[in-house]
Amino acid sequence: MRKRNQSGHTLLEVIVSLTIFGTFLAIAFGLTAEMRRWEKRLPVNFMRHPQIMSVIARMRRDVLDAQIPKGQPMYIKEHDGYVNGSKTLIIQTGLDTGLQTVVWDFSEPGVVRRVSYNVGVKTEWVARGVPSDFSAGTDIEAVEFEGRPYGVRLMAKDTYGRLAIDQILQPRSYE
Amino acid sequence: MRHERGFSLIEVLAALLIVTFVITSSLWAFLERNKRLQQASELILAYQALANEAEFLRRAQYGTLEAYGDTFQSQKVSTLLLPLEPYSTKVNVELVKLGVKNVTMTIRWHNEEREARLALIRVDTGDRPEGRSLF
Repeated sequence: MRKRNQSGHTLLEVIVSLTIFGTFLAIAFGLTAEMRRWEKRLPVNFMRHPQIMSVIARMRRDVLDAQIPKGQPMYIKEHDGYVNGSKTLIIQTGLDTGLQTVVWDFSEPGVVRRVSYNVGVKTEWVARGVPSDFSAGTDIEAVEFEGRPYGVRLMAKDTYGRLAIDQILQPRSYE
Repeated sequence: MRHERGFSLIEVLAALLIVTFVITSSLWAFLERNKRLQQASELILAYQALANEAEFLRRAQYGTLEAYGDTFQSQKVSTLLLPLEPYSTKVNVELVKLGVKNVTMTIRWHNEEREARLALIRVDTGDRPEGRSLF
Protein backbone atom coordinates (compact mmCIF):
# COMPACT_ATOMS: atom_id res chain seq x y z
CA MET A 1 0.00 0.00 0.00
CA ARG A 2 1.33 3.41 -1.03
CA LYS A 3 2.03 5.88 1.70
CA ARG A 4 1.77 9.64 1.28
CA ASN A 5 5.15 10.25 2.92
CA GLN A 6 6.98 8.44 0.12
CA SER A 7 9.20 10.69 -1.98
CA GLY A 8 8.60 11.14 -5.74
CA HIS A 9 5.41 11.67 -7.73
CA THR A 10 2.36 9.64 -8.49
CA LEU A 11 1.79 8.16 -11.96
CA LEU A 12 -0.93 10.72 -12.57
CA GLU A 13 1.42 13.58 -11.77
CA VAL A 14 4.08 12.26 -14.14
CA ILE A 15 1.54 11.67 -16.93
CA VAL A 16 0.08 15.16 -16.61
CA SER A 17 3.55 16.75 -16.59
CA LEU A 18 4.70 14.70 -19.58
CA THR A 19 1.53 15.54 -21.50
CA ILE A 20 2.07 19.25 -21.01
CA PHE A 21 5.72 19.02 -21.89
CA GLY A 22 4.96 16.78 -24.90
CA THR A 23 2.41 19.28 -26.19
CA PHE A 24 4.94 22.03 -25.87
CA LEU A 25 7.59 19.97 -27.69
CA ALA A 26 5.14 19.17 -30.50
CA ILE A 27 4.39 22.87 -30.95
CA ALA A 28 8.09 23.73 -30.89
CA PHE A 29 8.99 21.05 -33.43
CA GLY A 30 6.10 22.04 -35.66
CA LEU A 31 7.17 25.66 -35.70
CA THR A 32 10.84 24.92 -36.33
CA ALA A 33 9.95 22.45 -39.09
CA GLU A 34 7.89 25.16 -40.79
CA MET A 35 10.80 27.54 -40.44
CA ARG A 36 13.16 25.02 -42.04
CA ARG A 37 10.76 24.54 -44.97
CA TRP A 38 10.78 28.31 -45.57
CA GLU A 39 14.55 28.44 -45.35
CA LYS A 40 14.93 25.70 -47.97
CA ARG A 41 12.53 27.42 -50.33
CA LEU A 42 14.22 30.81 -50.47
CA PRO A 43 17.77 31.61 -51.55
CA VAL A 44 20.26 33.36 -49.33
CA ASN A 45 19.51 37.05 -49.33
CA PHE A 46 22.74 38.45 -50.77
CA MET A 47 21.05 41.82 -51.18
CA ARG A 48 21.23 42.29 -47.41
CA HIS A 49 24.98 42.62 -47.76
CA PRO A 50 25.99 46.29 -48.05
CA GLN A 51 29.06 45.54 -50.17
CA ILE A 52 27.01 43.58 -52.68
CA MET A 53 24.46 46.38 -52.84
CA SER A 54 27.28 48.86 -53.54
CA VAL A 55 28.68 46.65 -56.28
CA ILE A 56 25.31 46.29 -58.00
CA ALA A 57 24.46 49.97 -57.70
CA ARG A 58 27.80 51.03 -59.14
CA MET A 59 27.70 48.42 -61.87
CA ARG A 60 24.18 49.49 -62.81
CA ARG A 61 25.38 53.07 -63.26
CA ASP A 62 28.36 51.94 -65.35
CA VAL A 63 26.18 49.87 -67.65
CA LEU A 64 23.65 52.70 -67.89
CA ASP A 65 26.47 55.04 -68.95
CA ALA A 66 28.00 52.51 -71.33
CA GLN A 67 28.70 53.92 -74.76
CA ILE A 68 29.31 52.05 -77.91
CA PRO A 69 31.60 53.82 -80.37
CA LYS A 70 30.32 53.53 -83.93
CA GLY A 71 31.32 50.29 -85.55
CA GLN A 72 32.56 48.79 -82.30
CA PRO A 73 30.97 46.12 -80.12
CA MET A 74 29.71 47.17 -76.70
CA TYR A 75 31.85 44.67 -74.88
CA ILE A 76 35.57 44.89 -75.21
CA LYS A 77 37.17 41.47 -75.43
CA GLU A 78 40.26 42.21 -73.40
CA HIS A 79 41.98 45.09 -71.70
CA ASP A 80 45.14 45.32 -69.61
CA GLY A 81 45.27 41.58 -69.04
CA TYR A 82 41.55 41.26 -68.25
CA VAL A 83 39.45 39.11 -70.55
CA ASN A 84 35.71 39.55 -70.91
CA GLY A 85 33.91 36.47 -69.58
CA SER A 86 31.51 35.11 -67.01
CA LYS A 87 33.50 36.65 -64.15
CA THR A 88 34.73 39.78 -65.90
CA LEU A 89 32.91 42.58 -67.66
CA ILE A 90 34.74 45.18 -69.74
CA ILE A 91 32.77 48.16 -71.02
CA GLN A 92 33.34 51.75 -72.06
CA THR A 93 31.51 54.57 -70.38
CA GLY A 94 31.27 58.21 -71.28
CA LEU A 95 32.87 61.00 -69.28
CA ASP A 96 33.45 64.71 -69.95
CA THR A 97 37.05 63.83 -70.77
CA GLY A 98 36.03 61.17 -73.25
CA LEU A 99 35.55 57.45 -73.03
CA GLN A 100 36.84 55.47 -70.10
CA THR A 101 37.27 51.75 -69.97
CA VAL A 102 35.76 50.04 -66.94
CA VAL A 103 36.59 46.51 -65.87
CA TRP A 104 34.46 44.63 -63.36
CA ASP A 105 36.32 41.65 -62.00
CA PHE A 106 34.61 38.98 -59.87
CA SER A 107 37.28 36.32 -60.28
CA GLU A 108 38.88 36.62 -56.82
CA PRO A 109 36.84 34.98 -54.02
CA GLY A 110 35.49 37.51 -51.52
CA VAL A 111 36.57 40.49 -53.58
CA VAL A 112 34.94 42.48 -56.36
CA ARG A 113 37.21 44.84 -58.24
CA ARG A 114 36.27 47.79 -60.42
CA VAL A 115 39.18 49.14 -62.43
CA SER A 116 38.72 52.19 -64.61
CA TYR A 117 41.13 53.57 -67.19
CA ASN A 118 40.70 57.19 -68.12
CA VAL A 119 43.21 59.21 -70.14
CA GLY A 120 45.97 56.90 -69.02
CA VAL A 121 45.04 57.00 -65.35
CA LYS A 122 44.13 53.72 -63.71
CA THR A 123 41.75 53.89 -60.75
CA GLU A 124 40.75 50.93 -58.67
CA TRP A 125 37.75 50.49 -56.40
CA VAL A 126 37.61 47.28 -54.43
CA ALA A 127 34.73 45.79 -52.48
CA ARG A 128 36.19 43.48 -49.88
CA GLY A 129 34.40 41.17 -47.51
CA VAL A 130 31.93 40.03 -50.13
CA PRO A 131 30.64 36.53 -49.22
CA SER A 132 32.82 33.94 -50.94
CA ASP A 133 29.78 31.99 -52.14
CA PHE A 134 28.64 35.16 -53.89
CA SER A 135 31.93 35.35 -55.77
CA ALA A 136 31.82 31.66 -56.60
CA GLY A 137 28.23 31.77 -57.80
CA THR A 138 28.48 34.94 -59.86
CA ASP A 139 27.92 34.75 -63.56
CA ILE A 140 27.87 37.65 -66.01
CA GLU A 141 26.25 37.24 -69.37
CA ALA A 142 24.70 39.34 -72.11
CA VAL A 143 20.96 39.69 -72.44
CA GLU A 144 19.30 40.58 -75.70
CA PHE A 145 16.78 43.36 -76.11
CA GLU A 146 15.01 43.61 -79.40
CA GLY A 147 16.41 46.47 -81.46
CA ARG A 148 18.80 47.48 -78.69
CA PRO A 149 22.43 46.84 -77.78
CA TYR A 150 22.93 43.86 -75.55
CA GLY A 151 22.28 44.43 -71.87
CA VAL A 152 24.21 42.91 -68.99
CA ARG A 153 22.84 40.21 -66.78
CA LEU A 154 24.44 39.69 -63.39
CA MET A 155 23.47 36.45 -61.71
CA ALA A 156 24.57 34.94 -58.42
CA LYS A 157 23.67 31.59 -56.96
CA ASP A 158 24.03 30.69 -53.32
CA THR A 159 25.85 27.64 -51.95
CA TYR A 160 22.79 25.46 -52.62
CA GLY A 161 22.56 26.55 -56.25
CA ARG A 162 19.51 28.75 -55.73
CA LEU A 163 19.35 31.91 -57.82
CA ALA A 164 19.69 34.79 -55.35
CA ILE A 165 20.58 37.68 -57.61
CA ASP A 166 19.44 38.19 -61.16
CA GLN A 167 19.84 41.76 -62.30
CA ILE A 168 19.30 42.87 -65.85
CA LEU A 169 21.10 46.12 -66.61
CA GLN A 170 20.79 48.06 -69.79
CA PRO A 171 22.74 50.93 -71.32
CA ARG A 172 21.07 54.26 -71.85
CA SER A 173 20.26 55.23 -75.38
CA TYR A 174 22.46 57.88 -76.99
CA GLU A 175 21.32 57.97 -80.57
CA MET B 1 2.92 15.69 5.50
CA ARG B 2 4.37 19.08 4.67
CA HIS B 3 7.96 18.13 5.50
CA GLU B 4 8.04 15.47 2.73
CA ARG B 5 10.79 15.81 0.14
CA GLY B 6 9.87 16.57 -3.47
CA PHE B 7 7.26 18.87 -5.00
CA SER B 8 3.52 18.74 -5.17
CA LEU B 9 1.67 18.47 -8.48
CA ILE B 10 0.68 22.12 -8.27
CA GLU B 11 4.30 23.16 -7.83
CA VAL B 12 5.46 21.07 -10.77
CA LEU B 13 2.64 22.37 -12.95
CA ALA B 14 3.35 25.96 -12.02
CA ALA B 15 7.04 25.50 -12.74
CA LEU B 16 6.26 23.83 -16.09
CA LEU B 17 3.85 26.60 -16.95
CA ILE B 18 6.48 29.24 -16.31
CA VAL B 19 9.15 27.33 -18.24
CA THR B 20 6.73 26.70 -21.10
CA PHE B 21 5.75 30.35 -21.20
CA VAL B 22 9.36 31.54 -21.24
CA ILE B 23 10.52 29.07 -23.88
CA THR B 24 7.42 29.49 -26.06
CA SER B 25 7.66 33.26 -26.06
CA SER B 26 11.38 33.12 -26.87
CA LEU B 27 10.72 30.65 -29.65
CA TRP B 28 7.83 32.74 -30.94
CA ALA B 29 10.03 35.83 -31.02
CA PHE B 30 12.75 33.92 -32.85
CA LEU B 31 10.29 32.48 -35.35
CA GLU B 32 8.62 35.83 -35.89
CA ARG B 33 11.98 37.39 -36.61
CA ASN B 34 12.77 34.57 -39.00
CA LYS B 35 9.42 34.92 -40.71
CA ARG B 36 9.96 38.63 -41.23
CA LEU B 37 13.42 37.99 -42.62
CA GLN B 38 11.92 35.49 -45.04
CA GLN B 39 9.29 38.01 -46.04
CA ALA B 40 12.04 40.55 -46.62
CA SER B 41 13.86 38.01 -48.82
CA GLU B 42 10.68 37.44 -50.81
CA LEU B 43 10.25 41.16 -51.25
CA ILE B 44 13.86 41.49 -52.44
CA LEU B 45 13.24 38.79 -55.06
CA ALA B 46 10.05 40.50 -56.15
CA TYR B 47 11.70 43.89 -56.49
CA GLN B 48 14.61 42.40 -58.42
CA ALA B 49 12.08 40.96 -60.86
CA LEU B 50 10.27 44.31 -61.03
CA ALA B 51 13.53 46.16 -61.70
CA ASN B 52 14.37 43.68 -64.47
CA GLU B 53 10.95 44.10 -66.01
CA ALA B 54 11.38 47.87 -65.88
CA GLU B 55 14.43 47.43 -68.12
CA PHE B 56 12.26 45.68 -70.70
CA LEU B 57 9.44 48.20 -70.37
CA ARG B 58 11.86 51.08 -70.76
CA ARG B 59 12.65 49.68 -74.20
CA ALA B 60 9.16 48.74 -75.33
CA GLN B 61 7.75 51.03 -77.98
CA TYR B 62 5.63 53.79 -76.51
CA GLY B 63 2.83 53.25 -78.98
CA THR B 64 2.48 49.55 -78.22
CA LEU B 65 2.71 49.66 -74.43
CA GLU B 66 -0.96 48.77 -73.99
CA ALA B 67 -0.39 45.54 -75.86
CA TYR B 68 2.52 44.53 -73.64
CA GLY B 69 0.43 42.02 -71.68
CA ASP B 70 0.55 40.92 -68.07
CA THR B 71 3.34 38.40 -68.50
CA PHE B 72 6.75 39.61 -67.43
CA GLN B 73 9.21 39.35 -70.32
CA SER B 74 12.13 39.11 -67.90
CA GLN B 75 10.69 35.93 -66.42
CA LYS B 76 11.15 34.20 -69.76
CA VAL B 77 14.88 34.30 -69.14
CA SER B 78 14.95 34.28 -65.34
CA THR B 79 13.90 31.80 -62.68
CA LEU B 80 14.15 34.40 -59.94
CA LEU B 81 10.50 34.25 -58.93
CA LEU B 82 10.26 30.47 -58.69
CA PRO B 83 10.42 30.48 -54.87
CA LEU B 84 7.33 32.70 -54.82
CA GLU B 85 5.19 30.30 -56.82
CA PRO B 86 2.30 30.44 -57.24
CA TYR B 87 2.45 34.11 -58.11
CA SER B 88 0.74 36.41 -60.56
CA THR B 89 2.01 39.39 -62.51
CA LYS B 90 0.23 42.38 -63.98
CA VAL B 91 1.25 45.31 -66.12
CA ASN B 92 -1.09 48.26 -66.11
CA VAL B 93 -0.66 51.08 -68.61
CA GLU B 94 -2.48 54.33 -67.97
CA LEU B 95 -2.47 57.40 -70.18
CA VAL B 96 -1.84 60.28 -67.78
CA LYS B 97 -1.95 62.98 -70.44
CA LEU B 98 -1.07 63.24 -74.07
CA GLY B 99 2.38 61.77 -74.56
CA VAL B 100 2.76 60.52 -71.00
CA LYS B 101 1.92 57.05 -69.78
CA ASN B 102 2.15 55.60 -66.31
CA VAL B 103 3.24 51.96 -66.36
CA THR B 104 2.66 49.99 -63.16
CA MET B 105 4.04 46.51 -62.67
CA THR B 106 2.65 44.32 -59.90
CA ILE B 107 3.60 40.94 -58.50
CA ARG B 108 1.29 39.14 -56.10
CA TRP B 109 2.11 35.98 -54.22
CA HIS B 110 1.23 34.05 -51.09
CA ASN B 111 -2.42 33.64 -52.12
CA GLU B 112 -2.41 37.22 -53.40
CA GLU B 113 -1.86 38.45 -49.85
CA ARG B 114 1.57 39.89 -50.54
CA GLU B 115 2.24 42.44 -53.20
CA ALA B 116 5.14 44.37 -54.69
CA ARG B 117 4.60 47.19 -57.12
CA LEU B 118 6.81 49.41 -59.21
CA ALA B 119 5.73 52.21 -61.51
CA LEU B 120 7.57 54.12 -64.19
CA ILE B 121 6.57 56.98 -66.40
CA ARG B 122 7.04 56.67 -70.12
CA VAL B 123 7.12 59.75 -72.28
CA ASP B 124 6.48 59.75 -75.99
CA THR B 125 9.82 60.83 -77.44
CA GLY B 126 9.02 59.51 -80.88
CA ASP B 127 9.50 55.84 -81.59
CA ARG B 128 12.00 55.09 -84.28
CA PRO B 129 11.11 52.69 -87.10
CA GLU B 130 13.73 50.22 -85.88
CA GLY B 131 12.10 50.11 -82.47
CA ARG B 132 14.40 52.54 -80.71
CA SER B 133 13.32 55.39 -78.55
CA LEU B 134 15.21 57.78 -76.36
CA PHE B 135 14.06 56.15 -73.11
